[in-house]
Amino acid sequence: MMGRVDCARAERLAGTIALAEASDEQRDLYRAHLAGCQRCVDDLGGEREIERTIAVVARARDAESWEPDFRAAFAKGKKRRFAWIYGAVLAVAAVVALAGGRLMQAPQSAAPAAHAISSQEAQAIAALNTQTAPRREGRAESLKFGSPALSTSIVLRVDGRGEPMRCTIAHSSGDPALDESICRTAMHARYLRR
Amino acid sequence: MDGVRVEANRVASAQARVEALVLEYQTKLTRYVRRMVGDAEAALDLTQDVFLSAHRMLQADPHRKLSGGWLYRAATNAGISFLRRRKILRILPLDRELDRSTWRVDERSAASLDLQAALGHLAPEQSAALLLTSYAGYSSSEAAAILGTTSDAVRQRVCRAMRVLRRVMQEERNS
Ligand SMILES: [Zn+2]
Repeated sequence: MMGRVDCARAERLAGTIALAEASDEQRDLYRAHLAGCQRCVDDLGGEREIERTIAVVARARDAESWEPDFRAAFAKGKKRRFAWIYGAVLAVAAVVALAGGRLMQAPQSAAPAAHAISSQEAQAIAALNTQTAPRREGRAESLKFGSPALSTSIVLRVDGRGEPMRCTIAHSSGDPALDESICRTAMHARYLRR
Repeated sequence: MDGVRVEANRVASAQARVEALVLEYQTKLTRYVRRMVGDAEAALDLTQDVFLSAHRMLQADPHRKLSGGWLYRAATNAGISFLRRRKILRILPLDRELDRSTWRVDERSAASLDLQAALGHLAPEQSAALLLTSYAGYSSSEAAAILGTTSDAVRQRVCRAMRVLRRVMQEERNS
């Protein structure tokens, strides 16, 4: 069937060609569409051009030299992280702040003051008696707050620049408001290594 | 006591299986995620989470089949939510623009940079479609299964992604 092909169908055909999945019939249909549609010629290009463009992806992949330092990180992190999952690490008491780091005010660039951590918040964090299990730098930290009688354990994920990415309650204090406020406070800080 | 032994075997077998998965997929999966999110640290983090979920699942059910497709699916979902989240964060005054300095100097080939620049302009779903197929080597129907969509949708996303990539390359040539 060699019916007329609209631009939306031409797009899918171009995608099929890019993925090297097009049949001869599909290639013919695409060519026929380009013959009557300058917009798609400009926008998508002919088959050769499609193939040349998409080849960039495989070239980038084949030139990839980044070896994720993952096995080491995993082997090292595994014990901690797996133990951490099962709650063992939550029982570990350590001192303030993150693995070899300290908690400090985020250096703000153009950000309005409202988003900088206030000294009040910094004090609040310090007062929470933050405890942490030392972990791989820049990775998730396990923090324990409060006395055993009423404690919230949070898992704070920090990116490579010390920005908190996510805070999850690993162990609830039983008081949702307390849990939430601890997470909120922790998310407002920026964490730097000493 | 038998119960204890069974439990120990179960843990050991889950451990062995997850280690095999890590060994086979860690490099390609982490590279895939790094391309998707444009950040090495985040990629390591997200990928580690994927393996942790795998571990948890295998511990619950050591005989469960876990394929590469499952890992890619979990990684893709993690990448997409990371990108969505980053987009939300970006509109906050706090500057959370991700640091791209971790991109290795020896990877700054034209192809590598063109691809990364194009990915930066794409919707997460389009990035995922392009990377699952042309980068990770899945067919459009396999990618569709991973993404939970149709092959046609994958082809269309690939086409849109390719169009952006083409524009990036043209701009590069003109500048
Ligand atoms: Zn057209």
